[in-house]
Amino acid sequence: MSAPSDRDLIQRAHRGETEAFGELITRYQTNVFNVCYRILHERAEAEDLAQETFMRAHERLMTFDAERPFGPWIRRVAANVCLNHLSVRKITAELNEERDADASQKPEAVQEARERSDQIRDALASLPPHYRIVIELRHYQEMSYDEIAMELNIPLSDVKSHLFRARKLLAEKLHASD
Amino acid sequence: MHLTNHITDEQLNEYLDNEIKDPAQIELHLSSCADCAARLATLRALFSEIESLPELALSHDIAVPITRRISGLATLPRSLRLTMILQAATAIVALIFAAPFVMQLISLYASSLQVLSVADVFMRLQTQWRTWLDMLSQFQLPRIPEIPVIELSGLFIMLTVVGVSLLWLIGNGLLLRNQMK
Repeated sequence: MSAPSDRDLIQRAHRGETEAFGELITRYQTNVFNVCYRILHERAEAEDLAQETFMRAHERLMTFDAERPFGPWIRRVAANVCLNHLSVRKITAELNEERDADASQKPEAVQEARERSDQIRDALASLPPHYRIVIELRHYQEMSYDEIAMELNIPLSDVKSHLFRARKLLAEKLHASD
Repeated sequence: MHLTNHITDEQLNEYLDNEIKDPAQIELHLSSCADCAARLATLRALFSEIESLPELALSHDIAVPITRRISGLATLPRSLRLTMILQAATAIVALIFAAPFVMQLISLYASSLQVLSVADVFMRLQTQWRTWLDMLSQFQLPRIPEIPVIELSGLFIMLTVVGVSLLWLIGNGLLLRNQMK
Protein backbone atom coordinates (compact mmCIF):
# COMPACT_ATOMS: atom_id res chain seq x y z
CA MET A 1 0.00 0.00 0.00
CA SER A 2 1.42 3.39 -1.00
CA ALA A 3 1.92 6.16 1.55
CA PRO A 4 -0.93 8.70 1.74
CA SER A 5 -0.34 11.97 -0.11
CA ASP A 6 0.08 15.27 1.72
CA ARG A 7 -3.35 16.25 0.43
CA ASP A 8 -4.96 13.17 2.02
CA LEU A 9 -3.18 13.82 5.30
CA ILE A 10 -4.27 17.47 5.32
CA GLN A 11 -7.88 16.49 4.67
CA ARG A 12 -7.77 13.94 7.47
CA ALA A 13 -6.14 16.51 9.76
CA HIS A 14 -9.01 18.88 8.85
CA ARG A 15 -11.37 16.25 10.18
CA GLY A 16 -9.48 16.27 13.47
CA GLU A 17 -7.25 13.22 13.01
CA THR A 18 -4.18 14.07 15.07
CA GLU A 19 -2.26 11.07 13.69
CA ALA A 20 -2.55 12.47 10.16
CA PHE A 21 -1.05 15.76 11.29
CA GLY A 22 1.64 13.77 13.11
CA GLU A 23 2.53 12.10 9.81
CA LEU A 24 2.87 15.53 8.17
CA ILE A 25 5.18 16.59 10.99
CA THR A 26 7.31 13.47 10.48
CA ARG A 27 7.60 14.29 6.78
CA TYR A 28 8.52 17.95 7.15
CA GLN A 29 10.19 18.28 10.54
CA THR A 30 13.74 18.14 9.11
CA ASN A 31 12.89 20.75 6.46
CA VAL A 32 11.31 23.03 9.04
CA PHE A 33 14.11 22.56 11.54
CA ASN A 34 16.68 23.48 8.88
CA VAL A 35 14.80 26.66 7.97
CA CYS A 36 14.89 27.63 11.65
CA TYR A 37 18.48 26.61 12.05
CA ARG A 38 19.68 28.56 9.01
CA ILE A 39 18.00 31.67 10.39
CA LEU A 40 18.78 31.26 14.10
CA HIS A 41 22.00 29.22 14.13
CA GLU A 42 21.23 27.76 17.51
CA ARG A 43 20.14 24.14 17.64
CA ALA A 44 17.95 24.12 20.77
CA GLU A 45 16.23 27.32 19.76
CA ALA A 46 15.70 26.03 16.21
CA GLU A 47 14.12 22.84 17.58
CA ASP A 48 11.80 24.86 19.83
CA LEU A 49 10.74 27.08 16.95
CA ALA A 50 10.26 24.06 14.68
CA GLN A 51 7.72 22.82 17.23
CA GLU A 52 6.17 26.26 17.43
CA THR A 53 5.89 26.28 13.63
CA PHE A 54 3.86 23.08 13.60
CA MET A 55 1.65 24.30 16.43
CA ARG A 56 0.93 27.47 14.51
CA ALA A 57 0.37 25.50 11.30
CA HIS A 58 -2.14 23.31 13.11
CA GLU A 59 -4.04 26.38 14.31
CA ARG A 60 -4.21 27.69 10.75
CA LEU A 61 -4.80 24.35 9.07
CA MET A 62 -8.55 24.85 8.76
CA THR A 63 -7.94 27.83 6.48
CA PHE A 64 -5.23 26.07 4.47
CA ASP A 65 -6.29 24.86 1.02
CA ALA A 66 -5.40 21.16 0.78
CA GLU A 67 -4.83 21.56 -2.97
CA ARG A 68 -1.83 23.80 -2.34
CA PRO A 69 1.57 22.18 -1.74
CA PHE A 70 2.19 21.81 1.97
CA GLY A 71 6.02 21.97 1.88
CA PRO A 72 6.51 25.56 0.70
CA TRP A 73 3.72 26.72 2.99
CA ILE A 74 5.11 25.14 6.15
CA ARG A 75 8.61 26.44 5.32
CA ARG A 76 7.18 29.92 4.93
CA VAL A 77 5.38 29.60 8.27
CA ALA A 78 8.71 28.57 9.81
CA ALA A 79 10.47 31.59 8.33
CA ASN A 80 7.74 33.83 9.73
CA VAL A 81 7.95 32.26 13.16
CA CYS A 82 11.72 32.81 13.18
CA LEU A 83 11.32 36.34 11.90
CA ASN A 84 8.93 37.18 14.74
CA HIS A 85 11.29 35.55 17.17
CA LEU A 86 14.21 37.62 15.91
CA SER A 87 12.21 40.80 16.10
CA VAL A 88 11.63 40.35 19.82
CA ARG A 89 14.92 38.81 20.75
CA LYS A 90 18.36 39.62 19.54
CA ILE A 91 20.30 36.43 19.25
CA THR A 92 23.99 35.85 19.17
CA ALA A 93 25.21 34.19 16.04
CA GLU A 94 27.08 31.45 17.72
CA LEU A 95 27.00 27.95 16.39
CA ASN A 96 26.05 25.39 18.93
CA GLU A 97 27.03 22.32 17.08
CA GLU A 98 28.25 18.90 17.80
CA ARG A 99 29.30 18.72 14.17
CA ASP A 100 33.01 18.29 14.85
CA ALA A 101 32.46 15.33 17.08
CA ASP A 102 34.17 12.18 15.78
CA ALA A 103 35.38 14.11 12.72
CA SER A 104 38.62 12.16 12.79
CA GLN A 105 36.75 8.99 11.86
CA LYS A 106 35.33 10.43 8.63
CA PRO A 107 36.92 9.72 5.25
CA GLU A 108 38.92 12.65 3.93
CA ALA A 109 36.50 13.69 1.15
CA VAL A 110 33.52 13.58 3.50
CA GLN A 111 35.39 15.56 6.10
CA GLU A 112 36.36 18.20 3.54
CA ALA A 113 32.76 18.58 2.40
CA ARG A 114 31.69 18.83 6.01
CA GLU A 115 34.25 21.49 6.75
CA ARG A 116 33.07 23.49 3.75
CA SER A 117 29.47 23.19 4.95
CA ASP A 118 30.56 24.43 8.35
CA GLN A 119 32.29 27.40 6.72
CA ILE A 120 29.12 28.26 4.81
CA ARG A 121 27.04 27.94 7.99
CA ASP A 122 29.51 30.12 9.88
CA ALA A 123 29.41 32.69 7.09
CA LEU A 124 25.59 32.65 7.13
CA ALA A 125 25.60 32.94 10.92
CA SER A 126 27.78 36.02 10.74
CA LEU A 127 25.24 37.90 8.61
CA PRO A 128 22.85 40.37 10.22
CA PRO A 129 19.39 38.77 10.73
CA HIS A 130 17.67 40.78 7.98
CA TYR A 131 20.26 39.57 5.47
CA ARG A 132 19.89 35.98 6.66
CA ILE A 133 16.15 36.14 6.12
CA VAL A 134 16.40 37.26 2.50
CA ILE A 135 19.00 34.58 1.77
CA GLU A 136 16.68 31.99 3.30
CA LEU A 137 13.66 33.13 1.34
CA ARG A 138 15.50 33.50 -1.97
CA HIS A 139 17.90 30.55 -1.99
CA TYR A 140 16.11 27.95 0.11
CA GLN A 141 12.48 28.85 -0.41
CA GLU A 142 12.95 30.07 -3.99
CA MET A 143 10.74 33.10 -3.58
CA SER A 144 10.78 35.93 -6.13
CA TYR A 145 11.80 39.48 -5.20
CA ASP A 146 8.14 40.54 -5.18
CA GLU A 147 7.14 37.66 -2.90
CA ILE A 148 9.98 38.44 -0.49
CA ALA A 149 9.03 42.12 -0.43
CA MET A 150 5.45 41.17 0.39
CA GLU A 151 6.43 38.57 2.95
CA LEU A 152 8.77 40.92 4.82
CA ASN A 153 6.72 44.02 4.15
CA ILE A 154 9.71 45.92 2.79
CA PRO A 155 10.23 47.78 -0.52
CA LEU A 156 11.48 45.86 -3.55
CA SER A 157 14.62 48.01 -3.60
CA ASP A 158 15.44 46.81 -0.06
CA VAL A 159 15.08 43.18 -1.13
CA LYS A 160 17.57 43.77 -3.94
CA SER A 161 20.05 45.63 -1.79
CA HIS A 162 19.79 43.19 1.13
CA LEU A 163 20.39 40.23 -1.18
CA PHE A 164 23.25 41.95 -2.95
CA ARG A 165 25.00 42.94 0.28
CA ALA A 166 24.34 39.59 1.93
CA ARG A 167 25.94 37.73 -0.98
CA LYS A 168 28.86 40.10 -1.05
CA LEU A 169 29.49 39.51 2.65
CA LEU A 170 29.13 35.76 2.20
CA ALA A 171 31.61 35.76 -0.68
CA GLU A 172 34.11 37.76 1.39
CA LYS A 173 33.77 35.40 4.37
CA LEU A 174 34.06 32.29 2.25
CA HIS A 175 37.05 33.56 0.28
CA ALA A 176 38.73 34.60 3.50
CA SER A 177 38.35 31.08 4.84
CA ASP A 178 39.69 29.45 1.62
CA MET B 1 20.29 48.07 -27.41
CA HIS B 2 23.69 46.48 -26.81
CA LEU B 3 25.42 47.04 -23.45
CA THR B 4 28.59 49.02 -24.07
CA ASN B 5 29.81 49.13 -20.43
CA HIS B 6 30.46 46.14 -18.20
CA ILE B 7 27.51 44.56 -16.41
CA THR B 8 27.23 45.75 -12.82
CA ASP B 9 27.31 43.32 -9.87
CA GLU B 10 23.69 44.24 -9.10
CA GLN B 11 22.65 43.32 -12.63
CA LEU B 12 24.49 40.00 -12.40
CA ASN B 13 22.67 39.22 -9.16
CA GLU B 14 19.32 40.03 -10.72
CA TYR B 15 20.18 38.04 -13.84
CA LEU B 16 20.97 34.91 -11.82
CA ASP B 17 17.80 35.45 -9.80
CA ASN B 18 15.78 35.57 -13.06
CA GLU B 19 14.60 39.02 -12.09
CA ILE B 20 16.04 41.00 -15.00
CA LYS B 21 13.56 42.36 -17.50
CA ASP B 22 15.63 41.91 -20.64
CA PRO B 23 18.05 38.99 -20.14
CA ALA B 24 18.90 38.86 -23.86
CA GLN B 25 20.95 42.05 -23.56
CA ILE B 26 22.93 40.65 -20.65
CA GLU B 27 23.50 37.36 -22.46
CA LEU B 28 24.71 39.18 -25.57
CA HIS B 29 27.24 41.13 -23.53
CA LEU B 30 28.35 38.03 -21.63
CA SER B 31 29.04 36.19 -24.85
CA SER B 32 31.59 38.80 -25.84
CA CYS B 33 33.04 39.89 -22.49
CA ALA B 34 35.32 37.45 -20.70
CA ASP B 35 35.59 39.70 -17.64
CA CYS B 36 31.83 39.81 -17.01
CA ALA B 37 31.50 36.10 -17.83
CA ALA B 38 34.15 35.31 -15.19
CA ARG B 39 32.34 37.45 -12.59
CA LEU B 40 29.11 35.68 -13.44
CA ALA B 41 30.78 32.28 -12.99
CA THR B 42 32.10 33.33 -9.56
CA LEU B 43 28.67 34.51 -8.47
CA ARG B 44 27.05 31.34 -9.81
CA ALA B 45 29.52 29.26 -7.80
CA LEU B 46 28.55 31.18 -4.67
CA PHE B 47 24.85 30.50 -5.35
CA SER B 48 25.64 26.85 -5.83
CA GLU B 49 27.58 26.70 -2.55
CA ILE B 50 24.78 28.36 -0.59
CA GLU B 51 22.14 26.08 -2.06
CA SER B 52 24.17 22.90 -1.66
CA LEU B 53 24.26 23.25 2.11
CA PRO B 54 23.19 19.83 3.44
CA GLU B 55 20.30 19.58 5.87
CA LEU B 56 21.09 18.79 9.48
CA ALA B 57 19.22 16.06 11.29
CA LEU B 58 17.01 16.81 14.27
CA SER B 59 18.28 15.48 17.57
CA HIS B 60 14.87 13.91 18.29
CA ASP B 61 11.49 13.32 16.67
CA ILE B 62 9.26 16.30 17.39
CA ALA B 63 6.08 14.72 15.98
CA VAL B 64 5.23 12.93 19.25
CA PRO B 65 5.38 15.93 21.63
CA ILE B 66 3.43 18.10 19.19
CA THR B 67 0.64 15.59 18.63
CA ARG B 68 0.48 15.15 22.42
CA ARG B 69 0.09 18.89 22.88
CA ILE B 70 -2.60 18.96 20.20
CA SER B 71 -4.47 16.03 21.68
CA GLY B 72 -4.50 17.85 25.00
CA LEU B 73 -6.52 16.38 27.86
CA ALA B 74 -6.79 12.92 26.36
CA THR B 75 -3.05 12.47 26.70
CA LEU B 76 -2.82 13.59 30.33
CA PRO B 77 -1.60 10.94 32.75
CA ARG B 78 -4.41 8.77 34.11
CA SER B 79 -3.50 9.58 37.72
CA LEU B 80 -3.85 13.30 37.03
CA ARG B 81 -7.25 12.87 35.40
CA LEU B 82 -8.48 10.71 38.31
CA THR B 83 -7.26 13.29 40.83
CA MET B 84 -9.11 16.01 38.98
CA ILE B 85 -12.35 14.00 38.91
CA LEU B 86 -11.99 13.19 42.63
CA GLN B 87 -11.42 16.85 43.47
CA ALA B 88 -14.47 17.87 41.49
CA ALA B 89 -16.62 15.24 43.22
CA THR B 90 -15.36 16.27 46.70
CA ALA B 91 -16.10 19.92 46.01
CA ILE B 92 -19.62 19.17 44.77
CA VAL B 93 -20.43 16.95 47.78
CA ALA B 94 -19.05 19.55 50.21
CA LEU B 95 -21.10 22.24 48.46
CA ILE B 96 -24.30 20.20 48.76
CA PHE B 97 -23.71 19.64 52.50
CA ALA B 98 -22.84 23.24 53.17
CA ALA B 99 -25.63 24.82 51.13
CA PRO B 100 -28.34 24.82 53.90
CA PHE B 101 -25.90 26.35 56.42
CA VAL B 102 -24.81 28.99 53.95
CA MET B 103 -28.43 29.90 53.15
CA GLN B 104 -29.23 30.13 56.86
CA LEU B 105 -26.22 32.35 57.47
CA ILE B 106 -27.14 34.66 54.61
CA SER B 107 -30.76 35.04 55.79
CA LEU B 108 -29.53 35.75 59.36
CA TYR B 109 -27.22 38.53 58.22
CA ALA B 110 -29.72 39.92 55.73
CA SER B 111 -32.38 40.40 58.45
CA SER B 112 -29.95 42.26 60.73
CA LEU B 113 -28.76 44.59 57.98
CA GLN B 114 -29.71 48.25 58.33
CA VAL B 115 -30.01 50.47 55.31
CA LEU B 116 -28.28 53.74 56.09
CA SER B 117 -28.88 56.99 54.27
CA VAL B 118 -25.99 59.09 52.94
CA ALA B 119 -26.65 61.67 55.68
CA ASP B 120 -26.39 58.96 58.39
CA VAL B 121 -23.10 57.72 56.97
CA PHE B 122 -21.76 61.26 56.80
CA MET B 123 -22.83 61.93 60.41
CA ARG B 124 -21.15 58.76 61.62
CA LEU B 125 -17.94 59.59 59.77
CA GLN B 126 -17.98 63.09 61.20
CA THR B 127 -18.46 61.78 64.73
CA GLN B 128 -15.67 59.27 64.22
CA TRP B 129 -13.40 61.99 62.86
CA ARG B 130 -14.06 64.20 65.89
CA THR B 131 -13.33 61.33 68.22
CA TRP B 132 -9.99 60.74 66.50
CA LEU B 133 -9.16 64.45 66.63
CA ASP B 134 -9.96 64.52 70.37
CA MET B 135 -7.77 61.51 70.95
CA LEU B 136 -4.93 63.09 69.01
CA SER B 137 -5.23 66.36 70.93
CA GLN B 138 -4.82 64.36 74.14
CA PHE B 139 -1.74 62.63 72.72
CA GLN B 140 -3.42 59.32 72.91
CA LEU B 141 -3.23 56.73 70.25
CA PRO B 142 -6.59 55.68 68.87
CA ARG B 143 -7.81 52.44 70.30
CA ILE B 144 -7.22 49.46 68.11
CA PRO B 145 -10.56 47.81 67.47
CA GLU B 146 -10.83 44.36 68.87
CA ILE B 147 -10.82 41.53 66.41
CA PRO B 148 -13.75 39.25 67.05
CA VAL B 149 -12.63 35.71 67.78
CA ILE B 150 -14.17 33.28 65.36
CA GLU B 151 -15.49 30.13 66.88
CA LEU B 152 -14.48 26.99 65.09
CA SER B 153 -18.01 25.81 64.61
CA GLY B 154 -19.09 23.02 62.28
CA LEU B 155 -20.38 25.64 59.87
CA PHE B 156 -17.02 27.41 59.80
CA ILE B 157 -15.19 24.17 59.10
CA MET B 158 -17.69 23.29 56.38
CA LEU B 159 -17.28 26.67 54.72
CA THR B 160 -13.51 26.33 54.86
CA VAL B 161 -13.67 22.90 53.22
CA VAL B 162 -15.90 24.23 50.45
CA GLY B 163 -13.70 27.27 49.89
CA VAL B 164 -10.47 25.29 49.76
CA SER B 165 -11.98 22.65 47.48
CA LEU B 166 -13.25 25.25 45.06
CA LEU B 167 -9.91 27.05 45.02
CA TRP B 168 -8.13 23.76 44.48
CA LEU B 169 -10.45 22.85 41.64
CA ILE B 170 -10.17 26.23 39.93
CA GLY B 171 -6.39 26.25 40.37
CA ASN B 172 -6.01 22.79 38.87
CA GLY B 173 -8.37 23.68 36.06
CA LEU B 174 -6.17 26.61 35.14
CA LEU B 175 -3.03 24.45 35.29
CA LEU B 176 -4.56 21.77 33.10
CA ARG B 177 -5.77 24.39 30.65
CA ASN B 178 -2.21 25.67 30.29
CA GLN B 179 -0.92 22.15 29.72
CA MET B 180 -3.45 21.59 26.98
CA LYS B 181 -2.28 24.63 25.04
